[in-house]
Amino acid sequence: MGITQILFWFLSVLALISAILVVVSKNPVHSVLWLILVFFAISGHYILLNAQFLAIVNLIVYAGAIMVLFLFVFMLMNLNADTEPQKNKWLKIAGVIASGSLLLVLVAALKNADMKSRLAEMGGGNIGLIHNLGLALFNDYVIPFEISSVLFLSAMVGVVVIGKKE
Amino acid sequence: MNAIILSAIWGIVMMFSGVFVSGKRTIRTIAILGLLLLFLANCLDLGGGFRVHIDVHRMLYFDTFGLLANSVIFGSTLVFVMLSGRDMENVGINLAEYFALIFFVLCGVALVTTFNTLLMLFLGIEIISIPLYILTGSDKRNLKGNEASLKYFLMGAFSTGLMLLGIAFLYGASQNGSLFIDEMAIGKAPISPLFISGLLLLLVSMSFKVSAAPFHFWTPDVYDGAPTVFTSFMATIVKSALFIGFIRLFDEGFGRVHDRWQLFVAIITAATLFIGNLTAVFQQSVKRMLAYSSIAQAGFMLMAILSINGIARDGIILYITAYSAATIGIFAVLIRMKDYTFEGFSGLAKHHPVLAATTTIFLLSLAGIPLTAGFFAKYYMLAAVVSTGKYLWLVIFAVLCAAISVYYYFRLIQAMYFKEGDRQELDEGPGFRILLILLAAVIVVLGIAPHLVTDPVHSLIYLW
Repeated sequence: MGITQILFWFLSVLALISAILVVVSKNPVHSVLWLILVFFAISGHYILLNAQFLAIVNLIVYAGAIMVLFLFVFMLMNLNADTEPQKNKWLKIAGVIASGSLLLVLVAALKNADMKSRLAEMGGGNIGLIHNLGLALFNDYVIPFEISSVLFLSAMVGVVVIGKKE
Repeated sequence: MNAIILSAIWGIVMMFSGVFVSGKRTIRTIAILGLLLLFLANCLDLGGGFRVHIDVHRMLYFDTFGLLANSVIFGSTLVFVMLSGRDMENVGINLAEYFALIFFVLCGVALVTTFNTLLMLFLGIEIISIPLYILTGSDKRNLKGNEASLKYFLMGAFSTGLMLLGIAFLYGASQNGSLFIDEMAIGKAPISPLFISGLLLLLVSMSFKVSAAPFHFWTPDVYDGAPTVFTSFMATIVKSALFIGFIRLFDEGFGRVHDRWQLFVAIITAATLFIGNLTAVFQQSVKRMLAYSSIAQAGFMLMAILSINGIARDGIILYITAYSAATIGIFAVLIRMKDYTFEGFSGLAKHHPVLAATTTIFLLSLAGIPLTAGFFAKYYMLAAVVSTGKYLWLVIFAVLCAAISVYYYFRLIQAMYFKEGDRQELDEGPGFRILLILLAAVIVVLGIAPHLVTDPVHSLIYLW
């Protein structure tokens, strides 16, 4: 077992355990902190795949910006066990059944899927380097790249419409 | 390409007109001018007179079907703004921004009708959705509107998540990592389980977006809570565009494996027809009734997706024309009413005969009564299913559901014509009346001579 494999298993276990802890933590602030750990583990995976740019962007955008916003919101809302609304028992059961069915269907569908022939290249491959990514983004994917600006512009106009005082 | 570029640019023009132009009338005129330009530019694209050429790397595919649908959708937006543009002023103070958001939605519409990769489909659907969340909550003093907006946002974001998961599965299932819909499910290779999972997730999320049962629960609340002007926009223009995207995805992307998913779509169609029609019967508010009626109409449009064939493609264009024209007309009248219940319409025929008569024609069209466009629209959908040779039970079931729908549409007609009511002051100018009469005339002409639309459609799609 090479160093890459050890790292892969370590990061995978870390990501899965932290992801479970995000869901089961009672305190929302703890959930957010676990989520940051998930993002770090996933960034580690990106680095194993030689996708350095994606790894850094994942850290900066998700762990940096979005998680800080999450924390701010939680602190402003002052969530704790007392203010948490009582959840309906039936609602919980319905949720478990619904998502359990989806899990069952997906597992049943995917257990026969042949993924061995499509293993990702570890360490090799250089599509994730900034140079190649930039070339792909501004040659092959320039149309979606430009059009996503309309999406962001509309979101910005929307924020102004919602936020402006009448 | 014309429409995508022009709508994005005109969205920015509207944005700045909010800063530099003070008169509301001027802002509305600029918007109408923009829509007219958009319609003409798209027609030029369709006819081949003038096209902006950009190397899109096959990510968009401008076929006649998509461009024609664009024309219908832009045309109905033009009618919508001319009829109800003035009512937008009552929603809030940001009139120019509302128009800017509408133009951005139209940019998304142009993407959804002409996409060739899942990447573009996703971008288009998001460009449509995000302005809609805002427009739903644009009346900030209305608590119901705020609730509807938040609900729509959370549910919509969740369904987008499912769609992304599906796209990721499809990407993994494709031979060498491709998101192009015409490269999926190609060749002799057996269909992988990944592909089927992705297909199902996309089916679920698209059904959510077009409010098909059992993914319709957001529709009544959102349509009821949103300002009525924007409900009209969402229920007609946006829904039509999403259906065109839906049929495009399932025809070109998954058409070759249609035996795998047809039964699911048939079940969804039957459920949508049943739930939409049956629940609409019990509504007391006309606005909520129209929300359920839009679910029921979606059931009919789903038949085009079930039976992807030539008749379905002709039919869906006719259906979105008929449905949009009628629903925009009814909403234009509804917006001006003070009381949204059925009782509010009592005695309308006596005091406002023109409004009552045109509304009656719109309702008859929605119910699918002969001599209106709705009849032939429904006929085409049923004929498309019949020509597949299977699912005859669905055709019979759909006809029964259409019979139920007659009840709640006629209830409104009965209130207008056969009940006494007080005179109410409605804001109806001569321009409003003339537009309504023109819209009703279009519906009747299409009902008498549907070949006026379907023949050019047919010749455009197949011969040109």
